[in-house]
Amino acid sequence: MTQDPNLTAPVGAAVSEGAYVPAQLPVGLRRVPSGVDEVTTEHLVVNFGPQHPSTHGVLRMIIEADGEEVVGAEMSIGYLHRGIEKLAEHRRYNALGTLMDRGDYTSGIHGELAAAMVTEKLLEIEVPEKAHWIRSLMGEVNRIASHLVWYGTFGLDAGAMGQFLYAVRDREDLLDILEAVSGSRMMFNYVRPGGVLADLPAGIDQKLRAFVDIFDVHIEEHDQLLGGNEIFQSRVHGVGVIDKQTAIGFGLTGANLRASGVGFDVRRDRPYAAYEKLDFTVPMATEGDCWARYAVRMEEMRQSVRMIRQCLDGMPEGDFTAKVPKVLRPPAGEAYAAVESPRGEWGVHLVSDGSDTPYRLRYRPPALYALQVVEAIMPGSLIADAIVTAGSVDLVLGEIDR
Amino acid sequence: MQPDVTAITSALRSAGLTSVEVEQTSLGVIVRAQNAELLQLLSALRDSSSEFTFMVDLFGVDTGELVEITYHLRSLSRDEDVYVRTSVEYDDGFPSVWEIYPAALMPEREVAEMFGLKLSGHPNPKRLLTTDGLEPMLLKRVEIRSAEEVRSR
Repeated sequence: MTQDPNLTAPVGAAVSEGAYVPAQLPVGLRRVPSGVDEVTTEHLVVNFGPQHPSTHGVLRMIIEADGEEVVGAEMSIGYLHRGIEKLAEHRRYNALGTLMDRGDYTSGIHGELAAAMVTEKLLEIEVPEKAHWIRSLMGEVNRIASHLVWYGTFGLDAGAMGQFLYAVRDREDLLDILEAVSGSRMMFNYVRPGGVLADLPAGIDQKLRAFVDIFDVHIEEHDQLLGGNEIFQSRVHGVGVIDKQTAIGFGLTGANLRASGVGFDVRRDRPYAAYEKLDFTVPMATEGDCWARYAVRMEEMRQSVRMIRQCLDGMPEGDFTAKVPKVLRPPAGEAYAAVESPRGEWGVHLVSDGSDTPYRLRYRPPALYALQVVEAIMPGSLIADAIVTAGSVDLVLGEIDR
Repeated sequence: MQPDVTAITSALRSAGLTSVEVEQTSLGVIVRAQNAELLQLLSALRDSSSEFTFMVDLFGVDTGELVEITYHLRSLSRDEDVYVRTSVEYDDGFPSVWEIYPAALMPEREVAEMFGLKLSGHPNPKRLLTTDGLEPMLLKRVEIRSAEEVRSR
């Protein structure tokens, strides 16, 4: 699939739609009296999860079904709740990344980056140019790795199998690269306030270039394998439609929002790291169905490859971190910094009281907002389609439950 | 991006909210609201010409004396952010804003359980992340303990 020029989001997210007006309670079970409707079919309450392969973690979906049709749904979360926001109140600023890693465990670099950025904002630290470029580079590498997990498991939700193995093959290469750079495969703790932990290791340039060269071929293979599959297409076209107003009303961000026809991307509209200097397009679709979300994410991976090449070519010389004290004590105040994680806008809101630990840290979990909209649009669809819809918005429960 | 303070003030004044304070801080533009006029204020902001139709986030902060709830709103058409802040006494209640911003449905439940507040007007006001019987977790007076401290108790 080549990119359709109409699919590119226009600069300046011009959205002038009316507000979302809920027609009825968008959540919860309908609770039909005595469990029986007009044609006396019993409504069945089905528990999906918390341990179920289609829930991408420990999500419990309580579905009230009339035959094959969902008439009410409720999302029960909290099975992975570790109290990250409270734990952050007892961590020093340069250790916040460890907690962010364990929030969204498939895209740790982005969480660390948001925590580092908000600390730098409070302390007014000037980050060296090279650190900005490394952050963008590793962010995009992590984005492909995260999208590959989504791609593999989304296919599983729709009943396909092979693509998961191909996705993991490529993800393994990426995790090797991330391990070579940060020392860990998933819990990186690589981005620190002031810059990054260490310089890029020798030889990583060739390794990354070799990867993106082969991935150029593999991404088309992936797209053909799943997107070219007729069964998959009929499972996703027109399924799980989230219209523009619902998307805005429920606070959807990232690829999900762009698939519903709102062109907002933090990387482009509020540039951070080195994204201002990178040339990339923001893919967008207007249909808002599962296919649109699939197409947008596949195109995002192609754009990430482009950005990785640009980062490797344009990587400046210099320091990889600014000179920062061992113990950071930001002045009392508040700040908010946001990054575009693979799941959407990951923002960290930090309140400092001048001590060496945050007074309060709140992070915005983009997948929580995506989960709410799934709950709202699920009634009326078939159970099988509900699973596909939940898979298409890319949920990571570690991030939702915190 | 930061909105114009005078424009927001005049928009709120024309909507009949005369006592609202709008201030420029290091975080951004913060609108301070009384609990009673919160719903009116949020719908005025949503329907104003600035079109704050998008709720980015909702969270609470325990200041030591009371709980401050912040509504982080965004105008996608103008690319501007504004914060609405309201204060709630401990064990007191706050109104649900889900009819104005459906995005608030789950974060509101989280604020209510994590700070031990009552939530009114919500379609499903259950606890979100923790089980019944646990004391509120994000309050300042609740200490977290290390494994060693728990073992020695």
